[in-house]
Amino acid sequence: MEMLQNAPTNSIANLPDDGDETKIVIQTYQYIVIRLGDEDYGIDINFIDNIVRMQHITRIPKVSSFLKGVINLRGEVIPVMSLRVKMGLADDVIDRATRIIILKTENEGNLGIMVDEVKEVVTLSENQIEKVGHDADGIKEQFVSAVGKNGNQLISLLDLSMINLDDTN
Amino acid sequence: MDVSQYLEIFLDETNEHLQSLNTQILNLEQNPDDENTINEIFRAAHSLKGMSGTMGYKRMQNLTHNLENVFSEVRSGNIKVKPEMIDIMFQCLDALQEYTDNIRNTSDEGTNDNEPLVKMLGDILAGKAPEGGSAEKAAAPAAEAPAAESAAPAAEAKKEEGATDKWNHIPFDESQIAVMGEALKQGKNVYGLNVVVNESCVLKAARAFLVLKALEEKGEILASMPTTQDIEDEKFEQDFTLVVISDAPIEELIKVSEAVSEIDKVTGAPVDLDKAASTLEEESSEPAPAVSAPAASAAPAASAPAASAPAAAAPAAAAGNAPAKHNDKKVAKPVANRTVRVDIEKLDSLMNLVSELIIAKNSLVSATTGSAENSSAFNEQIEYLESVTTSLHESVMKVRMVPIESTVSKFPRMIRDLQKTLGKKMELYMTGEDTELDRTVVDEIGDPLMHLLRNSADHGLESAEVRAERGKPPVGTIFLNAFQEGNNVIIEVGDDGNGIDVEAVKNKAIERGVITPEQGAVMSDKEIINLLFNAGFSTAKQVTDISGRGVGLDVVKSKIESLSGEVSVKSTLGVGSTWTIRLPLTLAIIQTLMVVVGDEKYAISLGSIETIETIASNDIKFVQNEEVINLRGTVIPLIRLNELLEVESQPSEDGNLIVVIVKKGDKMAGLVIDSLVGQQEIVIKALGKYIKKVKFISGATILGDGEVALILDVNALL
Repeated sequence: MEMLQNAPTNSIANLPDDGDETKIVIQTYQYIVIRLGDEDYGIDINFIDNIVRMQHITRIPKVSSFLKGVINLRGEVIPVMSLRVKMGLADDVIDRATRIIILKTENEGNLGIMVDEVKEVVTLSENQIEKVGHDADGIKEQFVSAVGKNGNQLISLLDLSMINLDDTN
Repeated sequence: MDVSQYLEIFLDETNEHLQSLNTQILNLEQNPDDENTINEIFRAAHSLKGMSGTMGYKRMQNLTHNLENVFSEVRSGNIKVKPEMIDIMFQCLDALQEYTDNIRNTSDEGTNDNEPLVKMLGDILAGKAPEGGSAEKAAAPAAEAPAAESAAPAAEAKKEEGATDKWNHIPFDESQIAVMGEALKQGKNVYGLNVVVNESCVLKAARAFLVLKALEEKGEILASMPTTQDIEDEKFEQDFTLVVISDAPIEELIKVSEAVSEIDKVTGAPVDLDKAASTLEEESSEPAPAVSAPAASAAPAASAPAASAPAAAAPAAAAGNAPAKHNDKKVAKPVANRTVRVDIEKLDSLMNLVSELIIAKNSLVSATTGSAENSSAFNEQIEYLESVTTSLHESVMKVRMVPIESTVSKFPRMIRDLQKTLGKKMELYMTGEDTELDRTVVDEIGDPLMHLLRNSADHGLESAEVRAERGKPPVGTIFLNAFQEGNNVIIEVGDDGNGIDVEAVKNKAIERGVITPEQGAVMSDKEIINLLFNAGFSTAKQVTDISGRGVGLDVVKSKIESLSGEVSVKSTLGVGSTWTIRLPLTLAIIQTLMVVVGDEKYAISLGSIETIETIASNDIKFVQNEEVINLRGTVIPLIRLNELLEVESQPSEDGNLIVVIVKKGDKMAGLVIDSLVGQQEIVIKALGKYIKKVKFISGATILGDGEVALILDVNALL
């Protein structure tokens, strides 16, 4: 778990063609790459507290369908929501790869989100990240703030504020 | 000089002292000659002065200093305690409370000098009768009485040290000269000050810092030698020199500087601008001389909260706007966290229990390594472990418990004030102030109790004439009794006044359209009295500023219910009323009945359970299309939990239903469940902030197997 606690790193690169000794600071960000269906999504590592295996979720009656219930994480009761349902995809199929990512939010305590699979951690520099406009029509697109290009792989970077701002009940 | 780490202790202790002052001054009003009380007040005022001084809260220190002076005279018998004095004392306490609240919220005491109060205290000291309250002449916040005496030595010192005009040797830069010129034009004074620190002083920097801070209150420090940074780092010998721009006379600056302990001597005089300008020419070859205005160098000192504000505002002030100082401060979140002061005995017992727990664990480890014959020893150890954890549980709970005294001790003062505003004679009798409750409850209970007491004082007690007519004693009685009853704490608030006029309430309710006249005709007295808890309902003939806005009782009710408590009232017309508040001992741990519905487990608080019944399905009757049962003559509606909670449940083989009868006040309902698990003590956890409010669910708990079970909110079901 400790390796997930990194802050964004600054790497210093020497660019020889840009005059002598000019140092340019390139901001890099780390993302956890998760899979939902066939698509890869990235979550900023700074928002992640922990990743746990799927466990029994206690259902809460009379709440929105994307709120799956609550789990016990080391003595703390933490709500869990389905990212799939929230994004308008088909409901989760729970298998061995299913994980719950515990996000830490500033004002609303911790929140778990269910994902199909956790794949890897990638480091993207600023120039590998492309912002997307919010003219997107689908529900799914509202949650994507940018696209990261990691070689041939395209990663939709999730805008976590969208998850938290929505009313849950 | 970072004192912020002591802030919490300071706030805690200040509150305690203020509370004790409140109590003692009330006491003094009753017994003006009681020496113990006077001594107690003097000691509390003295401690407050010392503490606020150490923390650098000058205004607070000044006020307490004057308070202390007055009591010092009272103690030596030079001043007699008069009723008018008591009022001034209470005003002082309110002012001190305001400072404290400001400090709690912003870590700064605010800018209110409370000059009228200081002046009135001065008048008491001078033996004058205190006047109404407005001190026209705004005396300088520094104490009046000592001002005269200290001016003289200061003047002497000036004569003696006339030669030390070190400030004229400070190399100024151009902008500083310009600022000085501007200040003089605006009618302000520019002074040079030389401060000599006592040779034996150990914390020179600290003393110097206090001097700087004292001066910053009076004006703006333009330059210093050595630099303020060096002064704070103690890089100076016995003295340092400052240039200060201020409206105040030089004597005052000298006085506040000398007020800092271990400062031997402060000399000062107006700065000669021509001479200063000449230093500019001399030094002009050296760019950026070793002088820096506080704006630049005070930044490292920013850790001390009071110092940071003037430093930030210095550029603005240097432009000639000294009063701009406090404006740009943001209101941050409260600086101090809430704390519980724990009795050392409680901690000791916790410690003991933890030791026992470790012993039990060790014995268990050794028991498991043995053979089968040890299994009885094993069981024994488990039982031991269980008893230790239970006690540990209780002990931890007790740590959260504080006496309600901290909340109720402010009420005698409130009643005293009400007595004056309402013009009624009344006396408050309190018992059981040492009754303990969970800290969160104690904090929250203050407002509802205050509402009820005000209600009693304002509406409950009759006017003196009516009391005389009814043959009641002229002084009305208001009481507050607290005591423990099982797992609950009961607080009763009441009076021997008029009681609730049921007819008046009924008429009012009909008039307001809360009930129809037909409804009113069939309602019992109790039901009508309960209408008082409706929002927006007030029977007060006229609205006063004490109560009668109709917000009181429904707020009381909702507050108490949010604390899982309940409030009820008993009243006899013409004799008085009693409001009874029943609160759970603690909010964190409750006894519950675990039940199964479908494949889910739910906890129901034992406090709201009446009985558990097995009902044959053909005993279910229908009333208005709702399922009810007739239980020993009482008709109780049924709630099928599986339908309510939207879960599949298996009907039992014999067709009988298990029904948990719950009640809230007089209302009852039968909850149909699948099966019972048993009684269990659970720790209440919140559902997480993300889930704001779920109907029917009041929280969650973690079971022995690590799973989460939800707690049913019976109050929401009924």
